Amino acid sequence: MSISKIIEVDSINKTYKNEGLETNVLKGVSISVEEGDYISIIGPSGSGKSTLMTILGCLNQATSGTYLLDGEEVGKLGDRDLSRIRNEKIGFVFQAFHLLPGVSAFDNVMIPLIYCNKTPADAIERVKRALARVGLEHRMDHTPGQLSGGEQQRVTIARSLINDPKIVLADEPTGNLDSKNGAEIMNAFDHLNAEGRTIIVITHDPVVSEHARRILTLRDGEIVSDKINENFKESRAGLARTTIE
Amino acid sequence: MRILRNLAQALRGLRLNKGNTLLMTLGVMIGIASLTVIVAIGEGTKSKVLNRIANLGFGPESFSVYSGAGRLFFGRNRNVTSMTLQDVDDIRAMPGVAIVVPRQRKRMRIINKKEFTTTRIYGVSPEWQPARQWKVVDGEFFNDMDMDRKRKVVVLGNTPARKLFGETDPLGKKIRVGQVFFEVIGLLETKGLTESGYDPDDRALIPLTTSMSRLFRQTHLHSIKVVSTHSEVVQQTMEGVTQVLRRNHGLSPLADDDFRFVTPEGIMQWVTESEQALNRMLLLISTVSLLVGGIVIMNILLVSIRERIREIGVRRCFGARRSDITQQFLFESVLVSLLGGAMGAMLGWVLSTALKHFDFLPARITLEPFILAFGFSMLVGLIFGIHPARKAACLSPDETIR
Repeated sequence: MSISKIIEVDSINKTYKNEGLETNVLKGVSISVEEGDYISIIGPSGSGKSTLMTILGCLNQATSGTYLLDGEEVGKLGDRDLSRIRNEKIGFVFQAFHLLPGVSAFDNVMIPLIYCNKTPADAIERVKRALARVGLEHRMDHTPGQLSGGEQQRVTIARSLINDPKIVLADEPTGNLDSKNGAEIMNAFDHLNAEGRTIIVITHDPVVSEHARRILTLRDGEIVSDKINENFKESRAGLARTTIE
Repeated sequence: MRILRNLAQALRGLRLNKGNTLLMTLGVMIGIASLTVIVAIGEGTKSKVLNRIANLGFGPESFSVYSGAGRLFFGRNRNVTSMTLQDVDDIRAMPGVAIVVPRQRKRMRIINKKEFTTTRIYGVSPEWQPARQWKVVDGEFFNDMDMDRKRKVVVLGNTPARKLFGETDPLGKKIRVGQVFFEVIGLLETKGLTESGYDPDDRALIPLTTSMSRLFRQTHLHSIKVVSTHSEVVQQTMEGVTQVLRRNHGLSPLADDDFRFVTPEGIMQWVTESEQALNRMLLLISTVSLLVGGIVIMNILLVSIRERIREIGVRRCFGARRSDITQQFLFESVLVSLLGGAMGAMLGWVLSTALKHFDFLPARITLEPFILAFGFSMLVGLIFGIHPARKAACLSPDETIR
């Protein structure tokens, strides 16, 4: 595993102003993530983890502090560059899936390729491969409404991977799933990490966070603990036996 | 090409939101349909009026001068009595004048036993017929002898003849006008209604001398028709007529004319002016309807953006720039507007064809309104799409995804 830092967050603050009232959601959060790491950010609701997710995902910018992503200072970038980073370097997985309704699984997975600077020549092949990886090659033409929750979340994983991003950013990926489907999805993340991809999972569920190598706890906008997960090696060892499907 | 990919996404967006798409097209569709229909009617009316003028035998070498100031057929003062046979004699004596027809005119009731109708009765000289070149299909026109003897004879237009006599032959029959009985000696060829609803066949012609001494009992004239020898001398003749009439009527140099000219050019100009007025109204109507169409598009698009906020968020998360979202929604509004325009043009074409086919209104289908429709609907889509599109693009991605 390379030891280069893919994410370096240095004492960022995020303040929301609402009708003149200022709310400090993040208070001096610093995180550094090495490439290939598997991190979970855990915290109760209202702890600021969703805000942290949007900042890490370049969907929002911090009020102060610096954020280096793969060497680029995100805080200084404009809309075009932020869009490019989201397109090339980050794959999002959401709790509510956020698939386009009425659009086939194939076309949903295709979305990130629409906004590439240059659509790859093998786009169709890539989408098919990505869907095959999550075991949905036979349901490519199904719309989200025709898929189960677990299948929909697998489509979102295929979508997040289509542009081969360095980071997969998952926000409560199992929140809308039963425990069996949730476990399958987490297994998928374990596999992706085993292949060397950086995974950041935001959750309030300790079972989910146990999959990560490193667990950060966020409370009231501050990181209150940052520890290595001792059970990680075991779960990693178990990977050899499990498959995505 | 990024822009083409956004176009494809816009098409998909329209396909997925069929209900909204259909609603959005309606306003523009109605606007464009009315535009094309009104243009077609305008064109049709114009060409029919032009045909009708040509049919009136109002050749380029002839003009009329009416008693009383005003314009064309619209006199300002009906009680002007200054135009007399003296004017006619003086005009006839002018060089370049071929035929002069004095006319008296009054609307009166004409009666055949129990049938009666009100028609325009003209007292004219026998030159009326060669000047007007209006054929007599049955019987004959009155002649100089009828004039000299002030005979009580009448030539009927088709409308009063039909109303008074139905299917029977009116020739030789007597009709009564006021207390005077006239013998029907001729029937005029049928011309048919004009577009404005004017019925040229609704007339009865009697010798001028008869009308002066027996029927109207007045010596002043309603109008004089002048046919000059060549169309080139018409202008010159009209100037001469002006001088003669002003002198005969004893008008001081400062006084306005107490007569007015009616010329083919004058009518043409009037038609053109009415057409311009029609065009202005048309522009107003279509602007208003397209404005409404545009506002409908804008509002539905604004609502639809709220419905599709997730979609916008997903696109932004996976790399769509603000400009991509702007383009997509702008494409949607332009496409929907063009679709509405195309549907409207089609509807307009169908309606115009139907109007023409059933002879309800004159309609002439030309290419211009369809080109206009294309341009207008594109413009409407752009103008009214830009606000919703910008609004969609400026939503912050983290808010759209929550």
